[in-house]
Amino acid sequence: MTVLIFKDSKKNVELFSKETPSKYAVDFEVPDEISEAYVTTDGKSFIYRLSIGEKSTFKDSKNILKKKKTGLKSIIEITRIEKIEPLRIASFKKSGKKLGSFTNFDYVDLQSIKMSEKADYTLTLAPDIRDIIKEAKERNIEIPESLAEHLVKYKKDFSKKEFSELLDRVGKELSVNMIDPHEAVGIIAAQSIGEPGTQMTMRTFHFAGVREMNVTLGLPRLIEIVDARRTPSTPSMTVFLKKEYEENEDMVLSVVKELESTTVLDVSDIVTDISEMKLVIRPDKGKMKERLVVNDDLVSALSKVKGIVIDNSDGKDIEIRLQKESFSKLYQMQEQIKTLTIKGIPGIKRAIARIEPSSGKWVIYTQGSNLKEVLEVDEVDSNRSYTNDIIEIYNVLGVEAARNAIFNEALRTLNEQGLEVDRRHLMLVADMMTFGGSVRAVGRQGISGKKSSVLARAAFEITTKHLLRAGLIGEIDPLTGVAENIIVGQPITLGTGAVDLVYNGRRSAQK
Amino acid sequence: MNEGISKRINRIQFALLSPEEIRKMSQVKVITADTYDDDGYPIERGLMDLHMGVIEPGLKCATCGGKVDECPGHFGHIELAMPVVHVGFIKEIKSFLDACCGVCGRIKLTEQEMGDYRVKLTEESISNSEPEHFALMSKKVTDLASERLVCPHCGAQLKKVILDKPTTFREEGIKVTPKEIRERLERVPDSDLIFFGLNPEVARPEWMILTVLPVPPINVRPSITLETGERSEDDLTHKLVDIIRISQRLRESRDNGSPQLIIEDLWDLLQFHVTTYFDNQTAGIPPARHRSGRALKTLVQRLKGKEGRFRSNLSGKRVNFSARTVISPEPFLSVNEVGVPEKAARELTVPVSVNVFNIEETRALVKRGPEPRDEFGKYVAGTNYVIRPDGRRMKVTPQNAEENSTRIEPGWTVERQLQEGDIVLFNRQPSLHRMSMMGHSVRILDGQTFRFNLADCTPYNADFDGDEMNMHIVQKEEARAEARIIMKVQEQIMSPRFGGPIIGGIHDHVTSLFLLTHGNPLFSEEETIHILSYVEIDHLPEPEIVDGKKYYHGRDIFSLILPPGINLKFRSKLCAGAGEKCEYENDPEDKDVLIIDGKLLHGTIDDAAIGAFSGAIIDRIFRSFGPKETARFIDRMTKLAVGFISFRGFSTGISDYDLPESAIERINEIAEDAIKKINKLIEIYRAGELQSLPGRSIEDTLEIEILSAAGSARDESGKIASQFLGLNDPSVIMARSGARAKMLNISEVAGMVGQQSVRGGRINRGYYGRTLPHFEVNDIGAMSRGFVQSSYKEGLSPIEYFMHSIGGREGLVDIAVRTSRSGYMQRRLINAFEDLKVDEERMVRDTVGSIVQFKYGEDGVDPTRSDHGDTVDIDQIAFDIKQGAKK
Repeated sequence: MTVLIFKDSKKNVELFSKETPSKYAVDFEVPDEISEAYVTTDGKSFIYRLSIGEKSTFKDSKNILKKKKTGLKSIIEITRIEKIEPLRIASFKKSGKKLGSFTNFDYVDLQSIKMSEKADYTLTLAPDIRDIIKEAKERNIEIPESLAEHLVKYKKDFSKKEFSELLDRVGKELSVNMIDPHEAVGIIAAQSIGEPGTQMTMRTFHFAGVREMNVTLGLPRLIEIVDARRTPSTPSMTVFLKKEYEENEDMVLSVVKELESTTVLDVSDIVTDISEMKLVIRPDKGKMKERLVVNDDLVSALSKVKGIVIDNSDGKDIEIRLQKESFSKLYQMQEQIKTLTIKGIPGIKRAIARIEPSSGKWVIYTQGSNLKEVLEVDEVDSNRSYTNDIIEIYNVLGVEAARNAIFNEALRTLNEQGLEVDRRHLMLVADMMTFGGSVRAVGRQGISGKKSSVLARAAFEITTKHLLRAGLIGEIDPLTGVAENIIVGQPITLGTGAVDLVYNGRRSAQK
Repeated sequence: MNEGISKRINRIQFALLSPEEIRKMSQVKVITADTYDDDGYPIERGLMDLHMGVIEPGLKCATCGGKVDECPGHFGHIELAMPVVHVGFIKEIKSFLDACCGVCGRIKLTEQEMGDYRVKLTEESISNSEPEHFALMSKKVTDLASERLVCPHCGAQLKKVILDKPTTFREEGIKVTPKEIRERLERVPDSDLIFFGLNPEVARPEWMILTVLPVPPINVRPSITLETGERSEDDLTHKLVDIIRISQRLRESRDNGSPQLIIEDLWDLLQFHVTTYFDNQTAGIPPARHRSGRALKTLVQRLKGKEGRFRSNLSGKRVNFSARTVISPEPFLSVNEVGVPEKAARELTVPVSVNVFNIEETRALVKRGPEPRDEFGKYVAGTNYVIRPDGRRMKVTPQNAEENSTRIEPGWTVERQLQEGDIVLFNRQPSLHRMSMMGHSVRILDGQTFRFNLADCTPYNADFDGDEMNMHIVQKEEARAEARIIMKVQEQIMSPRFGGPIIGGIHDHVTSLFLLTHGNPLFSEEETIHILSYVEIDHLPEPEIVDGKKYYHGRDIFSLILPPGINLKFRSKLCAGAGEKCEYENDPEDKDVLIIDGKLLHGTIDDAAIGAFSGAIIDRIFRSFGPKETARFIDRMTKLAVGFISFRGFSTGISDYDLPESAIERINEIAEDAIKKINKLIEIYRAGELQSLPGRSIEDTLEIEILSAAGSARDESGKIASQFLGLNDPSVIMARSGARAKMLNISEVAGMVGQQSVRGGRINRGYYGRTLPHFEVNDIGAMSRGFVQSSYKEGLSPIEYFMHSIGGREGLVDIAVRTSRSGYMQRRLINAFEDLKVDEERMVRDTVGSIVQFKYGEDGVDPTRSDHGDTVDIDQIAFDIKQGAKK
């Protein structure tokens, strides 16, 4: 169906929505077949749907509303107006293509969006769990999946009567345990994470699982997580291989070799011979074995460097000469070769394969992280492999994954310290940091710096900047938050402060 | 009093002050730099002019006629001889000068561009609540305009303006005076302001150049009179004096036609003074100093930082009706109570408004005067003040008490002294969580300290080594209701952090109940009655008759304080991790604590049952019987524990750690073996035969190996020590029951202290290549790197002692660093999350209304009410149902 879309000022929309049905003069022509129009006020989302009746060319008369003062072309009769869920521009199509932008008005096809019936997620569950959820639902109890799973055990052991009593009591408890409206969940979460902070260790390094590998833990790690640092101080990955390779040691070692980035300097000594104007690379057998590099790898890596002649005639030392002799070039070349990568993925400093004692399968731990490229390695199981670099997860897998990463990393850090913190608090932190679509830090650069209240921002950090700026742009503090209401000396808007009590007095008439 | 209609500030709009507005709100034009005349009377039109308010008693404000505490203060103004730049807006002024034509004043954009960007920017400002986006966009636009050197409107050829920090602008090296800048800014039309993010309704660019300076009210900058009679002016007044002086000189020089150079110098000086008046920490300007050399605290410094107005006076305020003193324990108080010293109770008051229903009582109250006592000399609440309906307070003295009592009528307020049962807030800093401030009901006690039940130590994190705590008396009925219903200790037993009890037995409570129930000992009738006399229980459990005498089981005594109907089964701490049979219990059944219908049938009561953080019984009672019953249980539990342990007796000493000769020998052997092993490792390393661990250097590998050798030596010796120290040893009882200390600490005392560490490694700092001059250079053996083979009981050798101190010092530094770091993290967390709340549909939203979570915590369950995080404790419900079925 072809519909009309146009942009209008808020004032106009208010005007004709009040006076509907009405006649409205617009600055464009309207073809006859149009019977529906969508209006936007901000050019981004359409929030009104108009039903259009008669159309006529513009003639100035009294009872018409005008879009503009001049340049009016036609009059449409608005028979009905309704506010709709915001439609994005991309919901419209023009000549088969999604609409990207439009100027004042346009005739477009409304893409019929069919919401396929959302599949009942319970169908994916095991039948016994599904039965329990169904049984509970018959009693008007919404049971989370985890509870249903737990109840399966009792379904077998309990008599029918007992089980129905169990269900009833679970349902009752569930409703009792619900959080109260207006509860200041944010403050509780912040306190619950901050308070045990004093009990955490400061020791930056700790051995986690693999004692060869260092990982930042404790308070520094927690601070790092909430700061949403671009790179953690100790990035590391846990790489799982696909099930079929997990027990194949050769395959594992070849993956390790593929992952670990090794430079020329890592496996050899470089000597500059000025008298002969050459570089001599002396491979270190021990280091090469440790890094799983053979001589050929070294030579083939060097052969990619431009402007040099390689001599590896004796199969031992590698001599390098410049095509054009020059001292300064020689030094430059030495620096270049030092950091030349022979193999591996950039960012992965070390990779160590280990047999996990619990499962007996191989797992690769790395120092340094490069999620994108590691996932591209064929043998790697992209479902289970993991990095502790949250921003990298955000970049590679998106914001939902980043949210889970923040949650998991924070939970792991706290649990490792033996501190019991409810996961709901960590969920809230993760959600708050990511609900805007990107990972925002906790602090003046992130969440706190973007608060809507001038006073709250000024009270937190960088006081004067916010106040001066507010004066220039005539910022309005809506006084909706906590900090700003405390500053002006009013009750806060959370908890008991969120509700008002009005005493109606005793009604003497009703006795 | 201002009761009745309460107004709420709905919103606050910020704006710039225009020169006209500054003049309009000014009550006096200040022209004299002097403050007071010789008689100490404020000079007219001076900086302390009476039109700007009064700070001295006796004088009246010339503007409003108010006296000292009545007049809110009024602004004055200074007319600056020449305009100066406002430091805070330097960046904005620069962007105006860059992006606007100096000749015609329009922004250097073509009509086309202006049209496009105008649409975009208006959209942004309407639709976007985040100012950041707008700022970014406007930056882009102004940058584009700044690059042009030819004005697209008037065609003028323009020069680049350079900011010579901090406040001078130059055009090809030639200074642009503030006057010139102001003229340029005046030419910018209102319609172009949107590109800079300025709102023409509240701000004009030329207002960023000051021609008139507001003079703050005297109340803002009070002068103080020293004992010598000398007056000392506020920093701001000093600065204003400077500004007026220079402004006057500048005006005179200008009018006299002095040389340009002198005028410019004075102008710069005026600029300096005005700049430092606003911000005395501007980069590139030496801070203005007081005669003593102290940098002046000017406007920005007053607002900024932790001691600034915002954080110390607006976000946190000082209060009346509060008290602070040392705390001490009182086991006979309920967890819900706090003992208040009489002295404090006499000072602190609760306002009682007089009405027709309580007029008789309040009259009697006032009649008692400020220091009443009953016939036994005990404390009785009196009255300190009565407040008339017009707000006047009158002190009640023993002399006028009688008279005042007849004067009060409905509408008056009586400030009654604290009495037993009043609800107060009790707080210990640092207030890291909500349980750091709880409601207690008052008990008036002798002495000088606040006292409370020991179970309350955990949430406050208090001990009695000199800690002080604060008490606040809530003043309104609404607040009292909240304190009683929400904040009271019994309501806070469950921690929102992990969904378990945070209030429970500590230290001796655990030890005592462990001794009472472990092995289920028998007590004679007399003993039992004595123990139970501590708890208000008037009946005895079922006796066991031995030799015709009545005896009672410890578990049966404990059962008396359990609420009837409670069913519970859990593993005791003592037997945690035990298999089929627990090595510490004779009866295999006793490895689990089993409570059926309020009877303790099996198991030992220890930390896992009644301890803070873990107490399963407390958890169960709270869920099944509610806060009141739980508080009652904790009260009786602590009293029973104290009663029993003071009857039985319990002490610990150095002899707890006595080991037989053979054990000591074995521990010494282990130490020797460890040292040998370490030496062997070093030997291998020196020979270059040490196999390095993957990813580690050989040196690192050696350290790791040595550390693990030293660690296992300590563990081994600990094992031997605990073999010989059984459950009849008081220290072991404390460790095993979870009352205090860990088995590790016992093995340190009896066995071996072990390797000392700094930053997770062996101690390796000090001299070149060695830790102490007693060792050879490059000695990396056990002793030289902080291995302590002695035990605390045996005593440490001087070198060991030194190494141990190094490790200890690191711990202290660590704590200091940690508290500040975690404190800052918590401040940031609180600031970022303070506005989140659950709405009526149980969605989590922020202040703007954005949804953060659709269902709080994915299941909508309150963590406080959750079962250690689980939605519902199904197993417990099932257990209850099964027990019910058995009956």
